Amino acid sequence: MTETSRPGVSRRSTLALMGAGAMTFATPWVARAQAKTIKIGMPTILSGRVAQLGTSSRNGVMIEVDKINAAGGLAGRQIEMVIRDSKGAPQEAARVARELVNTDGCELLLDAEASSGAFAVHEVARDLGVFCIHTNSETSSLTADPKQHIPNAFRTARQGVHDSIVGGGYAAAIAKVKGLKKWATCSPDYAYGRDTTGEFVYYLKQFAPDVEIVSDAWPKLFQPDYTEVVTKILQAKPQALYSALWGGDLTSYIDQANIYALFSQMEVFAVNMADYTALTVVKNLPKGIHSGNRYIKTYPATAENAAWGDAYKAKYSEYPTNWSWENATAVMLIAEASRKANSADGKKLADAMRGLTIKSPFGADGTVTMRAEDQTLIGYAIGWGTTIPNEPYVPEVKSGDWKQILALEAEWKKTKGYT
Amino acid sequence: MDIDALTGCLASSACLVTQTTSGFIIGMLLFLVAVGLTLIFGVLQVVNFSHGAFYMFGAYFAMTAYQVTGSFALAMFCGAAGTAILGLVFERVFMSRVYGGDVLMQLLVCYAFVLIFDDLVRLVWGPEFRSMGMPSAFQVPPLFIAGGVVPPYYLLLIGVALAVAAILGVGLARTKIGKVIRAAAHNPGMVSALGINTGLIYGGVFALGGMLAGLAGALAAPVRSLTPGMGFSVLIESFIVTVIGGMGSIFGALIGALLIGMIRSYGSLGFPLFTDGMMYLFMVIVLVARPTGLFGKEVA
Amino acid sequence: MTELQAERARERTIESSAVPRIETRSKRLRYIDVLIAVAAFALLAALPFLFSSKALIDFVIRCAAFGLFATSLNLLVGYTGMISFGHGMFFGLGAYGFGLIMQRTGVPIPVAFIGTLLITTLVAAVIGAICVRLKEIYFAFVTLAFQMLIHSTIVSWTSLTGGDQGLRGGIPRPVFLGIDLSNQMHLYIASCTLLVSGLLLMRQIAQSPFGYTLRMIRDNASRASFIGIDVWRAKLTIFVLAALFASTGGIIMSLFVSGAYPEFAYWTISGEGIFINMLGGVTTFLGPMVGTVLLLILNDTVTRLTEYYGIVLGIVILFFAIGLRKGLMDFMVEWCEQRRDGAKERA
Repeated sequence: MTETSRPGVSRRSTLALMGAGAMTFATPWVARAQAKTIKIGMPTILSGRVAQLGTSSRNGVMIEVDKINAAGGLAGRQIEMVIRDSKGAPQEAARVARELVNTDGCELLLDAEASSGAFAVHEVARDLGVFCIHTNSETSSLTADPKQHIPNAFRTARQGVHDSIVGGGYAAAIAKVKGLKKWATCSPDYAYGRDTTGEFVYYLKQFAPDVEIVSDAWPKLFQPDYTEVVTKILQAKPQALYSALWGGDLTSYIDQANIYALFSQMEVFAVNMADYTALTVVKNLPKGIHSGNRYIKTYPATAENAAWGDAYKAKYSEYPTNWSWENATAVMLIAEASRKANSADGKKLADAMRGLTIKSPFGADGTVTMRAEDQTLIGYAIGWGTTIPNEPYVPEVKSGDWKQILALEAEWKKTKGYT
Repeated sequence: MDIDALTGCLASSACLVTQTTSGFIIGMLLFLVAVGLTLIFGVLQVVNFSHGAFYMFGAYFAMTAYQVTGSFALAMFCGAAGTAILGLVFERVFMSRVYGGDVLMQLLVCYAFVLIFDDLVRLVWGPEFRSMGMPSAFQVPPLFIAGGVVPPYYLLLIGVALAVAAILGVGLARTKIGKVIRAAAHNPGMVSALGINTGLIYGGVFALGGMLAGLAGALAAPVRSLTPGMGFSVLIESFIVTVIGGMGSIFGALIGALLIGMIRSYGSLGFPLFTDGMMYLFMVIVLVARPTGLFGKEVA
Repeated sequence: MTELQAERARERTIESSAVPRIETRSKRLRYIDVLIAVAAFALLAALPFLFSSKALIDFVIRCAAFGLFATSLNLLVGYTGMISFGHGMFFGLGAYGFGLIMQRTGVPIPVAFIGTLLITTLVAAVIGAICVRLKEIYFAFVTLAFQMLIHSTIVSWTSLTGGDQGLRGGIPRPVFLGIDLSNQMHLYIASCTLLVSGLLLMRQIAQSPFGYTLRMIRDNASRASFIGIDVWRAKLTIFVLAALFASTGGIIMSLFVSGAYPEFAYWTISGEGIFINMLGGVTTFLGPMVGTVLLLILNDTVTRLTEYYGIVLGIVILFFAIGLRKGLMDFMVEWCEQRRDGAKERA
């Protein structure tokens, strides 16, 4: 009998493959949570273009979780973080969130997703009733819109509308001093970019009514070539430019605008400039770009904040990002809530969290509060200043006034029909 | 939609000149990135879906070389040479196995490597975005040429793009080796019967295509941030350019790139929120009216 | 064409008449298909009672969504030879169509379901009419271009679709006929029903005379048109039919995540469809289902273990594309054939 040689895998290895596959398939159903530890699930983005969001969120969480576990844990239970990558796809975020709760036995969720991923996880939280804190999504409607409201979901990320109120006020003051009447905007064409820019312009005009927007450019997120965007802005000859570009996009834009000498022709207000990654990566940073604070070790100018930033850098060999402090705050709030409720049960934590104020290195006055009404964070340090290309990067920061912020935010909610 | 801005611009000569200049610049940058893709398709009849990965490697190699040596020329050389070698190895070891098969297998092999390369870059250089920085030689104010604003660095890029177009166009048409390559594309059996190593030709062309992508990445590195996965957006753009211009035609890629450049430039005035959509619409129209593209040849 | 040969062999033994009859399908085989479908459904329905695992329920629902999508893609790729790079646009269209109808109007779910299918039919007919006359790689390009155009439109038309954030606020699920789709078990049974009946319908299409017409077109379109077949009409018909099943997959997905996101219409979904077909194999009917299960298991396991999912997926793809050079089902069927032939030889 002639033996025909077949290409491909032999029978034995195929069976081995199937066996291994069956075993890995079965493993998830074997995992069970023990009473001694409490598992907290964290869907986030650890791969792809925005991988840094996930890695810095993870760092911000772990640095606080380690402290809590060292001090005895959450109501006596040691925290075990289960962090999983959703690759930035919302259906993956939903699946991962469900899997964390249903299969891995996570009792709490820290949702470190961005944009649409956060909304997907929000639906999971609505469906399963699990305690959930959104740590990265800055879209105001996530908590401001009453249709989105569920008693078990909170948000510790900053809100775009807060940044715009403070930014608008700061920019208006400078506009009045320097006579900046003609403005242009250049922001990424997606919800965050459009909403934040729209709100900034609205508040700028509130504080400085004779400002007019002469041009607006809307590059796509992650667009590599900004040539037409830069030339469009230059043509309109504005006196000032506002941009909500962030991360690698902001760096690319600065590089490309530099060779067109844009920065010598107008004042630039880039809300996301004062982020250590952007500040340390850009090679030829022009002086005098105005920026809101993302995370800056020197603002608030307190010993606690500087210590936190230094400890983070020592542990992870990189500076904290905006995402880092937002996630750390979530863990800090959970810790305090569990102390108050003397429990790590999701429902009791939620009750304790509403209206909770904690001491925080990131607070404008040393504290931050989880507002009970819409379950979102307020009182965090928020301000604008001018950047320089070396340490301390933002030497002076003009703080926002939270009384004013809250008043204007309430008005904004009325105009959006959220109240 | 802002049709008034568009018509207003078309009426003003200053605006017309500026927008056309910027459209020209965008087009030449696109051409530089896309020409490698159309070359590989023209000769090997393979759509190199990993084209963006070569662009990415070119940029990263250049950035690292620049950080180590501080020499811009050396950085460009490293970017180009590194990707040429990568292209040769990739073609000989992997792509040559799927030439006969259908486009699905080619797509999958290329895509598999895009996934692997992106993660490799993430492992080696980290997930955060990086910046190479503009060499001081080019940190000079922009020039005003015929009423349009042109940064000197982009003049260099345009010069390189035109040189590449000329060398490839003339080289493939007139020189002996160009004729051999075109013959190998048309009838590889005959060429190898004549005693010429077609495998070497295929490898060489793929290496050339990869090198062009890597060179484009290296040249773009001073003005664009580097991040794993940066190849994807240029892949889509290159794809649109070559499909519109005609796969396999260098001249077609040039025209296609310039057309897209103009659409982007004028589109940012007229349809700032739908420029992408306009490009895809244009691509659909070209594909329906002339599937092989404006200057493409029918694939055997 | 292992299936055709196998079937012809079966039919020869069934019909021992001396007169050769050109019959592509006997009633008995169709009943067998229905029987298999009923048995599969019974098995699926019993699963939650055998394993009390919520993850299994979620897994099967996702398998239903992607399985319908991938099998419908195979109708185009494997049976007709039309390689579509843009099939994902119908998945997204299904999700958005259903989501929008449920959010904006108060109609019952079955009405929204039919409505979504009608919309899909319309869009697929228009797009198909433009695309199907293009050959091979140009068909692939233009379907991709249409998908990106639709995706661009979804992202830009913020007032209708919510832009890049997708349809938020959840999808309302009013109870109909005593079925409450916000109950995970009801959703599970509904998905299984849709999956099994969808597969059964696609099987009937594939094994019908029309299905054999498609195979003929795949093998030699000019010969088919010389016989008098309207190739364009046949291709358009299967394009629209495939779109309907892809759309159903999208509807299941939108119910699973309770929303619709632009990622559902992005080329990555089409890419996943292609991978699944490659993993499972395009020459068998159930190949794509096998591929779906494989890809989802791979996805779930790898993302649990590492964040370098790209390297793992890349290596798996290379293994199948260069190593095996065929999908798993193809491999299994060939292996069975070779065993059978080997046994015959030895006998």
